[in-house]
Amino acid sequence: MIYYVGSFGLIIIGLYIVLTKRNLIKVIIGLDLFETGIFLLLICTGYVKGGTAPIFSNAKLTSALMVDPVPQALVLTAIVIGVATLALALSLAIRLYHHYGTLDLRKIRELKW
Amino acid sequence: MDISNGVNPALLIAIPLGLTFAIPLCGFISKRIGEYIPILGMIFNLVVAITLIPRVIREPIIVSLGGFPPPFCINLMADPLGVFLAALIALIGLMISIYATDYIKKGATQNYHMLYLLLLVGATGIVLTGDIFNLFVFFEILCISSYALVAYDGDKPGIESGMKYLIQGTVGSGLILMGIALLYGKFGTLNMAHLAQNIHSTTPLSTFLPLALLITGFGVEAALFPLNAWLPDAHSSAPSSISAILSGIAIKMGVYAIIRIIFTLFGASSLFHFILFLGLFTLLVGELAAFRQNNIKRMLAYSSTGQIGLIIFAFGLASTLGIKGALFQMTSHALAKALLFLAVGYMIYRSGSIKINSLAGMGKKMPLVSLAFAIGVFSLIGFPPFVGFSSKFLIVKATLAQHDSVLTILLGFVLLATIIEGAYFLKVIQTIYFKDTAQQTVQPWQGTSLAALIPICILMVLIVGIGIYPEVLSKILNAAAGMLLDREAYIRNVLP
Amino acid sequence: MFYPNALFGNLLIVAFGSAFLTYVLGKISQSLRNGFAIIISLVLVLMVAGLYGLGKEIVYFRFFDYPLLLRINALSWFFAITITVLSTLSIIFSLSYMRDTPQLDFYYLMMLLVNASMLGIVLAGDLISFYVFWEIMSWSIFLLVSYNKGPALAAGLKYIVISLVGSLCMLVGILSLYTHCGTFDISQLAVLIASAPHGYIVFILLMFCIAFGIKNGIMPLHTWVPSAYSESPSPFTAVLSGILAKMGTFGFLMIFYILLGWRVFLYLGQGVLSFHYILCIIAAITIVIPNFIAVLQDDAKKLLAWSSIGQCGYILLGIAFGTSLGLAGGIFHFFNHAIFKALLFLAIGAVEFRTNGVRDLNSLGGLVNKMPVTFMATLVGACGLIGIPLTNGFVSKWLIYKTLILKGSPFLAFAALLGTWGSFLAIYKLLHNVFLGQPSETHKNIKSAPFTMQIAMAILSIATIVFGIFPGLALNIINSIGISLGFESLDVNLWGIASETGTLNTINIFGAIVVFMFIVYIIFRTGAKSVLVPQDDSYAAGSYIPEGKYHYTVDFYNPFLRMVRPWLKDRIDQFYYWISSTSEKLAELVRRIYTGDLGYYVIYIILFLAVLIFTQLIWKPW
Repeated sequence: MIYYVGSFGLIIIGLYIVLTKRNLIKVIIGLDLFETGIFLLLICTGYVKGGTAPIFSNAKLTSALMVDPVPQALVLTAIVIGVATLALALSLAIRLYHHYGTLDLRKIRELKW
Repeated sequence: MDISNGVNPALLIAIPLGLTFAIPLCGFISKRIGEYIPILGMIFNLVVAITLIPRVIREPIIVSLGGFPPPFCINLMADPLGVFLAALIALIGLMISIYATDYIKKGATQNYHMLYLLLLVGATGIVLTGDIFNLFVFFEILCISSYALVAYDGDKPGIESGMKYLIQGTVGSGLILMGIALLYGKFGTLNMAHLAQNIHSTTPLSTFLPLALLITGFGVEAALFPLNAWLPDAHSSAPSSISAILSGIAIKMGVYAIIRIIFTLFGASSLFHFILFLGLFTLLVGELAAFRQNNIKRMLAYSSTGQIGLIIFAFGLASTLGIKGALFQMTSHALAKALLFLAVGYMIYRSGSIKINSLAGMGKKMPLVSLAFAIGVFSLIGFPPFVGFSSKFLIVKATLAQHDSVLTILLGFVLLATIIEGAYFLKVIQTIYFKDTAQQTVQPWQGTSLAALIPICILMVLIVGIGIYPEVLSKILNAAAGMLLDREAYIRNVLP
Repeated sequence: MFYPNALFGNLLIVAFGSAFLTYVLGKISQSLRNGFAIIISLVLVLMVAGLYGLGKEIVYFRFFDYPLLLRINALSWFFAITITVLSTLSIIFSLSYMRDTPQLDFYYLMMLLVNASMLGIVLAGDLISFYVFWEIMSWSIFLLVSYNKGPALAAGLKYIVISLVGSLCMLVGILSLYTHCGTFDISQLAVLIASAPHGYIVFILLMFCIAFGIKNGIMPLHTWVPSAYSESPSPFTAVLSGILAKMGTFGFLMIFYILLGWRVFLYLGQGVLSFHYILCIIAAITIVIPNFIAVLQDDAKKLLAWSSIGQCGYILLGIAFGTSLGLAGGIFHFFNHAIFKALLFLAIGAVEFRTNGVRDLNSLGGLVNKMPVTFMATLVGACGLIGIPLTNGFVSKWLIYKTLILKGSPFLAFAALLGTWGSFLAIYKLLHNVFLGQPSETHKNIKSAPFTMQIAMAILSIATIVFGIFPGLALNIINSIGISLGFESLDVNLWGIASETGTLNTINIFGAIVVFMFIVYIIFRTGAKSVLVPQDDSYAAGSYIPEGKYHYTVDFYNPFLRMVRPWLKDRIDQFYYWISSTSEKLAELVRRIYTGDLGYYVIYIILFLAVLIFTQLIWKPW
């Protein structure tokens, strides 16, 4: 249960940062936090109380005593996607800094209406 | 189920994916070969998709990856809707890749073609898959390629809009992932048919939260009303071939995802009224916002958001006729918008400025391209004998066939949006044909290249041809519409 | 020799194909294209003439597997022959009028395309074909009206936006009919619609009337007419006012009498509130007000345009009134108006051509000596417009007045009479200001109109007088139209119509006028010799006669205008302008949603999600 609270907390903190912060790098960090919270949420859904790693390492292990491996696979995929997005975001931020000279989101507003 | 007498639909995704990674390998031989590989890939896709269509109308093809039976595997579900959209993606992708061989000259062109082919792979994967996380993965492939491609030119508006698109898109994807997490947590399966079977076995609230998250998340890419703030920036700052593929295909994929979730996965018939109103609202806001634009590409982008609203409105009618109209409108908008962006690309290149006033006199300087622009505009507004008329005809017929007076009043608003659209687009046509050129050309001009003229001509012929003979698409669209409405058939086809 | 079936089936293909062929030929050679345009227009006239008396329908295409039909009957034939003849004359006129303008291939393409689509409209046998050809006509008109650039662009945009409103109303009407009755075929619909509830029929009628009223220029849907007519090239204006506006008339005839049938149409509603009577009142307002606004105009083509709106009111009055005399009067007035209005526009076009584009009545004058043929043409056209006996306008107006008085509608009759007074004032202003008075310095040496223009004007003038003396030529056909629509037959002979309260016998009028003119001639011949006076020998009450000329035509009718002008402000146009400027302001507001600030954008996303979740939690609608 605590893990769900923690994951929602991370999500909300991440969203808060994206919504309110002015510095682009902070927004990207917020984005990363938001995604981390979601990964945590995903993992939580596969949690079995007292379960162990889903590997048949011991002959007496049954599937009821293991945590669910599917969310772990999902999260791995999602982390990779997140890394790609983050890398793209940071490289775009560098180019943006070249063009505008600032990372303040209030000033990067040439395209509007 | 039985693929022994035909092509495996998985090849529709696998071959272009393989070709993507072949591009840098071919780059060792010559830099220019990379330009032609997307063309090859899309020709292959188009041929395969068209040959698959008669088979899937009879019976959808299920391909189980990994050898496990569904619902334990990731499966591809090639039903009429999916294969039709795959053919549409291949067609538009092919046209634009031919255009791009000459349009993309600066920068790392190899990376452009790789990312472009990846975008198309992602789109094809979205329409063919039967597993919700697989949908998410292909969706992300689509999105990330488009973030990078929007910023391809490296100029100030491109980077800025790419950045904003990325942040909004990632927030949206996060919401999708949250929705998937909640769904998995509740039902323990990721297979769409299995989910559809069990979706009603629990409290409405716990299914509503994932539904809301999924709609919002996919809605960011689909450009629904408050979520589409990225679209005008991205489509106006991207290189024209990218604007074309984004407006033509990428946003339709978001719509497809939402439709698949609402109709097949959740069977949420109570949401039909909601998407009706949402579509109407998106349509009105999009057309009004386009009315006063000075920047031609931004105007076309707002018009895209409006048309997506119209498509969603038609989906909200939830009758066979309505969905057929919506799918037809998807096709006609994809054709017309791609044609418009391709034509505008060269017009902007020649006049050197993106403002509408600088397009004055293009009717004389670039007659074929201006004719293409005029045909695209007439088709969008819905003048006969172009394909836009056939699709609007179907949508109006579907709305009136419900015999509901509230719907007729809403139809009045839809047609009001058409009038607004007519007003601003026809003003642009007047500027192109009937105003005198204000300035000299910026670049020395050798004429529009053949590589650009071929797709423009083919799209023009298609718009006029399908407009005159719309029955060409009737059979497949009827099957697709029937398939979408029939959840039970979907579940029956996938699960043993 | 001519196989009517083959002619009928191929008519539209020839018409549309020739339009595109003309464009292609124009790229090769100018004169080839001109010659081809004239020949093909004449061929079309002959083809339509060969279809006389035919009454059949064929399936020519399948759209979404609905069969599309072409149908010809007396009504379609009558309209078709008018369309093709008038179009041919316009193209003959354009040969010299448009000699040096750019984009000529486009012009000829559009003229022929308009011609072809109008043929398609009158020959359509089902509503989809009707709509498709209607729309093709609409956007062709848009492209032609914008042809002249400059202020024509605003006129064209205004036209197409208003026309789009009408077309979409018609689309809703057509598809609503389909969903109600299950077919697009006009003759099948005629059978099925009779059993529909009256409220539904009124709704359908309203949708169609908006569309046709916009095209026809009925108040309050007329605001596109003055600017569009005055800014388009003159030969096209002749086509526009002569027949394009009458496509609305054809639509009215189709919807009132073919689709609904007179039994249903004339009995919708009771007494004064019946649908057709309200239409008559609207038509009466359309007759009175625009004819007087025409008097206020200083631009020759705008004057004619307002006068056209007024005349279209006569046509609608005749048609909507519901008697066989009225129907005959309305259809005949359409035919006559096509002839004399086209004549007037062509004449003004000739003047415009020779004076290099001057349309302002205050600066023209005294052209009667330089352009005698044009003057005669304008005079004949003006006589037709006013309705002087021996011209065709007289016969059709007589029919309309006759039926109004016979059926006891004194108010409508008085309105029609007011309209005639107004049109008389307006057209005399035109005639006087352009041709009479003293010629201005700049226009002292203009030449007469070119030969091809003179031919076109001459043919139309002769037609005006011939149909005035022998109205039976047309009235026979119109009578058969009336019979086919279910009205009782009129007693028509070559020289007029017999009715209960007096016969119109034009040969008597002709004879009387000839005798009278002979008497006048004898008196003049045997009387005192007339004295030739120079034109600027004016009475100045003893003081010096100033140099230069008096132009007696500036502020023509000033006392009358001062009295009438406050009543005739164009409030409807202001209303439409207010709508469009409000929507522009709304559009500006809507644009501001996309502020450019990324934080706002993400807030929109989260807000949307929150709204979805909260509405479910609180109201549980889903």
